[in-house]
Amino acid sequence: MVQSTLALGVEAVGCAAFDAGIKGAFGYPGTPSTEGFEAVELLIHGAKDGRVAQWAANEKVAYDLALGVSYTGHRTLVTMKHVGLNVAMDAYANSALTGVRGGLVLLVADDPGMHSSQNEQDSRRLAEFAWLPCLEPSTVQECYDLTFRAFELSEALQVPVMLRIVTRLAHCRAALTRRVALAPTSLGLVPETSIQNWVLIPANARRRYVDLLAKQPRMLQEAATLNHLVPGTARRGVVLSGMGRAYFGQLLHENPALAALPRLEIAAYPVDPALEQAFLAQVDDVVVFEEDYPVLEERLGLRGTAKVHGRLDGTLPRTGELAPRLLKDALGLEVPAGKTAASLELPIRAPRFCDGCGHVDAYGAMQEALRNVGAPEARVFGDIGCYTLAAQEPMAAIHAVVEMGASISMAVGAALAGQTPSVAVIGDSTFGHSGLPALLTAADSGVNVTVVILDNRVVGMTGQQPSQALDQVERMVLGMGILEAQVQVLLPVPKQHDANVAAMEAALRHPGPSVVVFRRECIQSIRRGVLKDHDRQERERCATEVCS
Amino acid sequence: MNASRIHGIVLSGVGGQGVLSLAQILLEALRRSGLHALQSEIHGMSQRGGSVHAQVCYAETPLSSPILDEGGADLLIALEPLEALRYVSMLRINGHLIVSEEPQMDMAGYPPLDDVYAALKAVPGAHLIDTEDLARRLSHRQAGGMALLGMASRFMPVDDAVWREVIAQRFEAKGARITEKNIEAFEAGRGLIQETVGV
Repeated sequence: MVQSTLALGVEAVGCAAFDAGIKGAFGYPGTPSTEGFEAVELLIHGAKDGRVAQWAANEKVAYDLALGVSYTGHRTLVTMKHVGLNVAMDAYANSALTGVRGGLVLLVADDPGMHSSQNEQDSRRLAEFAWLPCLEPSTVQECYDLTFRAFELSEALQVPVMLRIVTRLAHCRAALTRRVALAPTSLGLVPETSIQNWVLIPANARRRYVDLLAKQPRMLQEAATLNHLVPGTARRGVVLSGMGRAYFGQLLHENPALAALPRLEIAAYPVDPALEQAFLAQVDDVVVFEEDYPVLEERLGLRGTAKVHGRLDGTLPRTGELAPRLLKDALGLEVPAGKTAASLELPIRAPRFCDGCGHVDAYGAMQEALRNVGAPEARVFGDIGCYTLAAQEPMAAIHAVVEMGASISMAVGAALAGQTPSVAVIGDSTFGHSGLPALLTAADSGVNVTVVILDNRVVGMTGQQPSQALDQVERMVLGMGILEAQVQVLLPVPKQHDANVAAMEAALRHPGPSVVVFRRECIQSIRRGVLKDHDRQERERCATEVCS
Repeated sequence: MNASRIHGIVLSGVGGQGVLSLAQILLEALRRSGLHALQSEIHGMSQRGGSVHAQVCYAETPLSSPILDEGGADLLIALEPLEALRYVSMLRINGHLIVSEEPQMDMAGYPPLDDVYAALKAVPGAHLIDTEDLARRLSHRQAGGMALLGMASRFMPVDDAVWREVIAQRFEAKGARITEKNIEAFEAGRGLIQETVGV
């Protein structure tokens, strides 16, 4: 034991990556993955030994940055939330074929119950899809230990390894014991004899796909060392992974009689069919406790030798998070009664814009301009960020929110289908993430679409990380082909309201693509002084150079 | 404390009130008292003025579940009265509720305040505290959270010295005066419940 500290599960992953000697960490913010990157960033900045931690423009870029580090023979971590992996999927799936040089670990944080997300997709399915290993911890200490293991596994099998956690574990804080940190070392650049492995032209890709499939038995073997069959005397068994394993462990402690249930404890994928068969041979029926999709439940059900209970047969709810209560109900354990309070109607206290937030002024101007051009009912396409809050009553200023960057392309699509005016609202960081190619298409289409960019200079929602589009938004917009005359930059403050309404109206009336940038720094970021150093350096630079 | 089971604390309030920060102080104090402790929190969208809640579980033996069931908490610490009512069912039958009377009413449909107070007072084991008045008396605008923690300390197996140590460490960066003000608020809250209560 070298150090014991309190850490979130997701932070434990970051600490482990640092201690495993990574050279670079990359990611794009997204709850509940953000603090994993921030933990490793803090350690790397403190170490001052030439390692890098850098947010990327989006998850795909982050993944490719990591793959580049791996190519040079160094260990690397890349972090994202579950829907971020959709963005990085091209890189992830193809890196299974190239394989890795230095160990590459992908931290993916799933969000069952959708605390802060638009869906509850299960990343284990994507690991299976890419034919890659996935490790799934169930405690804060396991987050650390399995991340270490993931790096070893990645280098042993020469493939990327996914570390999958869920919100409850990511945001569980507990004591963490760290190991002695390894110094970053390099296995050396991809050797000349292996260069063709990294060139995925069809002839090489066919060979590499065969190579990847040939690694499967080794993956099963390695995963098997982390999965356990614990025999019991009962004919009913349980299958446990992730938080299911954590919750059952607790119940077992309180109800020692549960030890009679044979259990299959899963912490690594792919799962060895021999292990599944050995387990099923001991039971007549099983209950599967896993987060998100019925991945293990389906696999075991298909074997047909035991009755399998879980999310598919209604033993557990089909959607949402696991909870100790759900395990107790499924296992027929007693649930103690709680206190009761007089039944009062308790309305939801929804999150709202911070007092003084510039987004509110921007939306106010946009809505008034829409009324002035005779389109008070116009449907507006929104995007992902704090400004998504505008979808709520009474503001109800945006009418669709799907995924990062969708606002612009959907507004162009609607305009092509005849909607006028067609408006998109997107934040500066989301614009840099995946709005850019959409704006290129918008400019090329020539249709009447108005793109409103809410530029608060940071990634507000996830904790005011600096936006990669910082101070670049107009240049990016012009670079995508929007005409200079159709780009306006406005200051969203009450004093400017009338002028902002007039400017928005002009944009809405323009028959082609136009962009309105509302720029005012996030008030939380001002309060915390996030950009203070950046702005001072810029002022100093401008005092000595000609600045645009 | 009862050695054979998990003890639990639920904390609730509104984003920005410092619920998560209080939870972290509790967690650290329990850990320094030689107990196994886990904290669970949900952030993200809930940060911006929405409902926020955290849970702290502790026991004399290792723990793996960071969350409690309904009827599983010994203590509910609420920084806001309506946010207390949401979690009353989390309390064990003999659990205690420590709640600030200071409402945050900037939301649609907040029930009549008297109804909220009446519902809280009807909960056996409820301790309401006028944090607004206390803050005025102590000339310390943010005394409320620490005072609630002081009251809660009567129900927890943590020594006075450990509390002082953890609070001092928490506010170290903000200087000696702020630290003193917070310890003062903690002591004021602690003084509101005279006897240490076993749970």
